[in-house]
Amino acid sequence: MKQISGIAVNIHKKILGKVARKPLNRFLRSGSDEIRVIARGYPVLITSNEFNPEKHKRISDIPIVHSVKDITELKEGNVVLIEPSGGINILYEKESIQNTIMVTEKCNCACIMCPQEIKKEDDSKTEFNLKLISLMNKSTKFLALTGGEPTLVGDDLFRLLMACKENLPNTPLIILTNGILFSNFEYAKKLVLLQNQDLTIAIPLYADIDNMHDYIIQTKGFHKTIQGIYNLALLKQKIEIRVVITNVNYRRLPSLAEFIYHNFPFVVHIAFMGMETRALAEKNIDLVWIDPYDYMPYLKRAVNYLDRAMMDVSIYNQQLCVLPKDLWPYSRKSISSWKNIYLEECQSCLAKDKCGGLFSSSEYKHSLHIKRM
Amino acid sequence: MPNEDFGKLITRKLDVNSDAFLNLKSKHIVTNTDIAPIVDMLAVKYRTKKAFLNDFTSLHMVVVTLRCNSDCQYCQVTREEKNSKQCDMTIRTAKKIVDLIFKSPSSNIKIEFQGGEPILNYSIVKYIVKYAKKLNKKYKKQLEFVICTNLTLSDKAIFRFFKKHNVYISTSLDGPKELHDKNRILQDGKGSYDIVINRINEARSVMGEDGVDALMTTTNLSLKYSKEIVDEYIKRGFHGIFIRALNPYGFAKKREKEVGYSTDEFIKFYKEVLMYIIDLNIKRTFFMEYYATLFLTRILTPFSTGFVDLQSPTGAGIQGVIYNYDGNVYVADEGRMLAAMGDKRFLMGNVYKSTYKELFCSNMMIDLIKNSCLECLPMCSYCAFQTYCGADPVRNYSTQGDIIGYRPTSEVCKKNKAIIQFLMGLIEENNDEIMDVFWSWINRSKRNKREVCIETN
Repeated sequence: MKQISGIAVNIHKKILGKVARKPLNRFLRSGSDEIRVIARGYPVLITSNEFNPEKHKRISDIPIVHSVKDITELKEGNVVLIEPSGGINILYEKESIQNTIMVTEKCNCACIMCPQEIKKEDDSKTEFNLKLISLMNKSTKFLALTGGEPTLVGDDLFRLLMACKENLPNTPLIILTNGILFSNFEYAKKLVLLQNQDLTIAIPLYADIDNMHDYIIQTKGFHKTIQGIYNLALLKQKIEIRVVITNVNYRRLPSLAEFIYHNFPFVVHIAFMGMETRALAEKNIDLVWIDPYDYMPYLKRAVNYLDRAMMDVSIYNQQLCVLPKDLWPYSRKSISSWKNIYLEECQSCLAKDKCGGLFSSSEYKHSLHIKRM
Repeated sequence: MPNEDFGKLITRKLDVNSDAFLNLKSKHIVTNTDIAPIVDMLAVKYRTKKAFLNDFTSLHMVVVTLRCNSDCQYCQVTREEKNSKQCDMTIRTAKKIVDLIFKSPSSNIKIEFQGGEPILNYSIVKYIVKYAKKLNKKYKKQLEFVICTNLTLSDKAIFRFFKKHNVYISTSLDGPKELHDKNRILQDGKGSYDIVINRINEARSVMGEDGVDALMTTTNLSLKYSKEIVDEYIKRGFHGIFIRALNPYGFAKKREKEVGYSTDEFIKFYKEVLMYIIDLNIKRTFFMEYYATLFLTRILTPFSTGFVDLQSPTGAGIQGVIYNYDGNVYVADEGRMLAAMGDKRFLMGNVYKSTYKELFCSNMMIDLIKNSCLECLPMCSYCAFQTYCGADPVRNYSTQGDIIGYRPTSEVCKKNKAIIQFLMGLIEENNDEIMDVFWSWINRSKRNKREVCIETN
């Protein structure tokens, strides 16, 4: 998520709130009553100007973050979490198509290429997330529920979905889950009984072979994930399959494509994804890294096979200069804008507008075949 | 799979990390880890392949008259002279049949008018269409009509009726004029090509391009015309063809010397036509061969296909059923032929005398279904092509004397094996252009039922 910062005054705990932009520039001129009234209506006052407790006595008791540099990042309707240190985390952007909710940081897998730090224990975020959802705008274009593993919060997941149904009835939702807990049919049934709006369940499947998949996720989960997929399909849910490509599984991409079509032809979308080399992936880099250029022949066979069979297939997180041209139509700009970069080489590239670029983590670890076009 | 790997596999020496082993494991043919969950996955795949059984009888063929104005060389149908009205279906019988059709548990009902030439008893065709639509207001099934007609007796008023009630036309076109006119002769001795082409155009002008489809039958005269037949179909605006072999029944059997050919000759012809069609597709003319598409769908997709004549267990009776003009019910048209020649082996009953249960749950039916599962038929049970093939117990009975049949001398087995093998060879070549053509056929096919049969455990 995007983060900006300033200097905090009178802030003693984290504060969650929605940004309302008012013409407050005048407040530096003098501590007029009018400004005091406006400022007092809100949990926190955020300003790019400097605050001087001597000069602004009348509002010296209210929570303020001042001297914020990139204040233009704060748009009307954004939801921010403000820390006592002055950090302003932008948790939600009204106009974005990439909004996410971190349901929990716990996970029941420890994928060798996971780009997140996984916590064994995590305080419940549900109450916080419910408040976050309540602050979101009804016009939200898209919302992903992610983790960690979102199903680890148990029935709290359904409380969140219920809140989405009430507050964001028109927003398409996606849950990013490993599907393991949906192998319990009763749990899967609860999801369906909520009758959420447009909901997709995106489930990773890294190989067509049980022990290869299980090695990647570092636990025995392959057949539970498959049972989860079957249960959700039986309940007529929209399922997407996500495949992160690593050095461990790339040779099996064509077989995995056949495996998906022959066992799960009902899935609505299949995404083949390039790695984000942070956290565990960075730690295991020698094990998981392969130059995407080297797996292109395998990716191409997998994508062509699924496309022929009328399956909807996409490629995420790849740079166009590394992709063979006939795979370009499948490539999506999939990297969240706050961690999306382009290399120096890219700046004058003619395909830059069409290209999804790189993860910020790829600045030093990326394909050796990136070149300006 | 290379022989070397196969040898290692059966002696359990194949490396479990080799591609050869993993590829078999991926397809659930072998495993070195959990077995139980793999059995569950196989069960889903198997049920999915057999999804055609979920619906029960959906194709209902109705012979509204035995009379015909044609005198085709290869006609398999027992037919009567144009004016013998005692072979027409009556309104009373038609009503009984439609009432029975709607007792089928299937949510899709297709009523197919056959004959003779059904237009010779057009008033009953109209009656059945209207009465079925009336009943369907209550039953709300997916209802479809098809009429198999030589078109020679149709006119614009008839086409308008078809358009209004969504009755599709399936006519016969054997190829170019010189061939068609030799095969399909009217009772006045003249060829029917010119009139059929005129009527196809007229029907399309009223019903739209897709209102008319055509079937061809291969005679020994056709064998020389592999390209011309396809060109004729394309010229007439059709998007596909079913290269059909003769049925060894009825009149065709009697005239075998005049119109027949060996299975080997047919296979050679079929391959020629297919390669010609594939080539046309590669050159950007979309055109399907329906029989190949059926097998390709079975080979390359996980789905079930609804082709009555080649299922395991047989589709006879439980997918398709035929009602004769007199209300007699048969498992298949061939069963009706046999009855006309005195053998009532495949008579299910009569709409006046039999209940639905008596018709569809008789010992004859149970015997027929039980003995038409390839999974336990001699030689089929260990045939490599079992998953793609089907049983034809009525054909076995008529050509070999019993419903189980004897594969080493079965011409149907020989034909299907050759065709599947030929397609397998093309798939193995994995030529991108040809595979694109094959998938374009699969994706266009209406027989493809995209239903996956999962059950909770």
